[in-house]
Amino acid sequence: MKIAIWGNELIAWTAAACFAEMGNEVLFVPLFSGDHNSGENRSNNSPNKQAKLHDAPANVKEEPSLVEQLQQQLDAGRLRFTDTETAQSAMLHFLAFLPKQLEYATSLCQLVAADSKRQLIVMNASNFGIGASDKLQACFRGEQQIIAYIPDQLPAGSALAHFKNPDHLIIGCQQEWALMHIRALYRPFSRNINQWLLMSAREAEYTKFAITGMLALRLAYINDLANLADEIDVDIDIIRQAMGSDERIGQHYLNPGCGFGGEHFPQYIEGLAGTLSEARNSSLLSTVLEENEKQKELPFRKLWRHYDCDLQAKTISIWGLAFKPGTASISNAPSLKVIDALLNQGCKVKVHDPMAMANIEAFFSTHHHREQLAFCDSEMQALEHSDGLLLLTEWAQYFSPDYQVMLDTMNTALLIDGRNVFDKKLIKELGFTYYGVGR
Amino acid sequence: MNNISESSQWQALQDLADQQRQQPIHQLFSENPKRFEQLSFRHGELLVDFSKQHYQANTLENLIALAEQCELPNWIHQLFAGAEVNHTEQRPALHTALRLPEGKECWLNGENISIDVQQNLQRMDELVHLIHTGQWRGCSGEAIDTVVNIGVGGSDLGPLMACNALAETPARDDNGKLAQQAAIDVHFVSSMDGSQLADLLKVLNPMRTLFVIASKSFTTIDTMANAATAKEWLNQNANCSETALIARHFIAVSSKPEKMQAWGIPKQNQLEFWEWTGGRYSMWSAIGLLIALKLGMSAFKTMLAGAHSMDEHFRLAPLKENIPALLALTGIWNINFLNIGAHAILPYDGRLKNLPAYLEQLEMESNGKSVNRQGETVDYNTCPILWGEIGTNAQHAFYQLLHQGTEAVMCDFIVAAKRYGPDASQELRHQHQLNLANCFAQSRILALGDSVLDDAHSAPAHKRYQGNQPCTTIMLNELTPFTFGQLIAMYEHKVFVQSVIWGINPFDQWGVELGKQVATKLLGQLDGQETNNLDASTAGLIQAINQ
Repeated sequence: MKIAIWGNELIAWTAAACFAEMGNEVLFVPLFSGDHNSGENRSNNSPNKQAKLHDAPANVKEEPSLVEQLQQQLDAGRLRFTDTETAQSAMLHFLAFLPKQLEYATSLCQLVAADSKRQLIVMNASNFGIGASDKLQACFRGEQQIIAYIPDQLPAGSALAHFKNPDHLIIGCQQEWALMHIRALYRPFSRNINQWLLMSAREAEYTKFAITGMLALRLAYINDLANLADEIDVDIDIIRQAMGSDERIGQHYLNPGCGFGGEHFPQYIEGLAGTLSEARNSSLLSTVLEENEKQKELPFRKLWRHYDCDLQAKTISIWGLAFKPGTASISNAPSLKVIDALLNQGCKVKVHDPMAMANIEAFFSTHHHREQLAFCDSEMQALEHSDGLLLLTEWAQYFSPDYQVMLDTMNTALLIDGRNVFDKKLIKELGFTYYGVGR
Repeated sequence: MNNISESSQWQALQDLADQQRQQPIHQLFSENPKRFEQLSFRHGELLVDFSKQHYQANTLENLIALAEQCELPNWIHQLFAGAEVNHTEQRPALHTALRLPEGKECWLNGENISIDVQQNLQRMDELVHLIHTGQWRGCSGEAIDTVVNIGVGGSDLGPLMACNALAETPARDDNGKLAQQAAIDVHFVSSMDGSQLADLLKVLNPMRTLFVIASKSFTTIDTMANAATAKEWLNQNANCSETALIARHFIAVSSKPEKMQAWGIPKQNQLEFWEWTGGRYSMWSAIGLLIALKLGMSAFKTMLAGAHSMDEHFRLAPLKENIPALLALTGIWNINFLNIGAHAILPYDGRLKNLPAYLEQLEMESNGKSVNRQGETVDYNTCPILWGEIGTNAQHAFYQLLHQGTEAVMCDFIVAAKRYGPDASQELRHQHQLNLANCFAQSRILALGDSVLDDAHSAPAHKRYQGNQPCTTIMLNELTPFTFGQLIAMYEHKVFVQSVIWGINPFDQWGVELGKQVATKLLGQLDGQETNNLDASTAGLIQAINQ
């Protein structure tokens, strides 16, 4: 099948690689930014630059195996970067714009639907919020021109695996003829699919929001419980396991920690919080977001209290800067807030991360205390002269360090475990002062 | 100089007053169509209209002659030059130095005090920046988002007034950009009985609250009692050492570093101001910290610039165009020659709701005196009784007395010509028009009486308006940090000019001391000590409590 992919989100690049791999002819226009020209010259004189693999955004380049896979498909000729004019001829379109780029999508829909007689299926994976599919559908005049909403559920770090092997697929489309084409397109990836969830585009949008909000609420709740556990001296780990074994609850999204980050998750919740607040005057999700922001600083607060509110001239080590393991992305990561707080309190901050250091370096390059920030090649180097270690991202390589080397290297054997990865009992027996999240 | 009331200039004014009293204000208007042109004055965006005063345009010349007889120009020079104008406390009064732009010098005892001023502004800037960026941490490590000013008198009224007056000015950072941080919640507590503080403590989060103890002497009992209560409240909620608690939750502003130190305030949390700044002239100093927190440092500096522009006008403009001097001399005319002893402050702007309280202190604490600089009792009236209220609200309260009572009252109408931009709702913009119409209507009737009607004479006596209450209208183009700075500086200089005419020291306040001493003694008696030495009333009241 011939499919045009538009937009620069991770799922655009992932879909390009995966659809091409399955033999489709993929025409890719990642940098489409609307068509601002009018009249006959419109498509001849497109302002949109033709992209190259090199133009992929950082999160795409960091995604394991994705660039290699894209290169293979380019080499094989099934994937092509094209101009707007070439790509608009396809019947199938796949949109993956940023939430703020609804106008790009609108402009694109107007462009491809100019001929109201042609058959058109536009699968939108961009998260524009509830009601956006209806707005896009309104650009179409022809009966055989359909918007389908397929929510983006890709986790950064394992995007390829999830795209190729989804557990379920939500398709917001109710036109049989269009569904037939969409199913055919997704068929190679649907061997293990438990459920095709078919619904209207509006329902699919709502489902996407509802799931995201639910997960956020679970995280916020377990974090709240963990903070209380700190105060009443019980171990949240025990509580969490017991809660999770109740089948009505389950284990997912019940790990307390120092807050969630990432490109999408907080952004989606922000959108949902806004919608709920406007339509229902509900502050539930805005509270979740506010609390999450506070939670990101939890390791800082524990350190602050340990040192009786004075961190001047302390050397503090941080392990893990990415918003989660397996990615270089620092988008909304707790490390951003913690480092800022430590620098402002006059700390020297020594950081380590297997992938995200360059991003952190760029992020803090204009900070007025940037000279207090040091980047270390190894996790142990980050511990030299350290008055305390904060673990912020649960990279596997941090799980079982050589404790003796840590004790020998650090000034003060203080460990603040923002992800509850260490065995508290063992750590304490070794002579560390240990603070977890709720334990 | 001999007693000013015996001078020929004083006598001339007395004679003029006897004549002019016979002629009601409405006649002055009908006789002289150029009254507004002759009696209204502008400085930048400030327009002051004296034409509704009860004098003829040329009376100002006599008043200026009196000021010259009192050597006003020399006194103005002395004030700015740092002379010991506060002779009873051997201090200059250099609030004008607080508003000097960076780079300008002000020398006092061989020292350029502008350097101290700029350094202190820099320190304020750093604190404000830390708090605005959420990097001032309370003892739990959470960011401070609420600041409570503990102060009284000059350490309370000025910042409180400015914060309310300019709250529509959004906080901006040093570069004038809108501050990203959510606005800091600011509160003011002053009352000695703790009632304001107790109410606040019920709703504030101790971990996110910072207190600013503002006291020039750092001994003011009202303030120190509130500070102690705040500290106790924090202690009950905190889990850290007392040193850390004070370091994270208290900033102090005082002219006494050693006393701040003794209370436990660490050096980096101390902001200084100086003996040469009077308490009621101190909102331009670090006492204005809350203003900077609420509005941003840039707005605070703009307010200083506004005041400085008025300082320069006051220092350089000839008396016949010198707005603070003319405002003062108009007051002198009303008080000393028309024998008016009451002065109403009527802001037609809800944002200036604290202006009356501020001016009550500024004027009555400065000039509420009856002994001149030579230590002699004066034989003329000095500061009148000031009071006031938002004009439109006062219309439903004490305007009855202004219109039909037996007391002569002089009135200041303060109003902003423009408010509410094109983004505001039509209704709100209409409210501003309504407000302006009321402001002009009231001053018109107060001055001109029912002569503004064609058929007033036919009304029964209880519906008549005699008019003749002299009114000044002070109109700002817009209420901004700059024009607000100008407005307040104008009143400060007005007070100084009147003190020069009356020959009194406006910068001390000995009249508030005795009460403090006596109260301290009575504390013991309330705790059960002998009350024999007291008057029967006080003894009886204490016994009624102790029974």
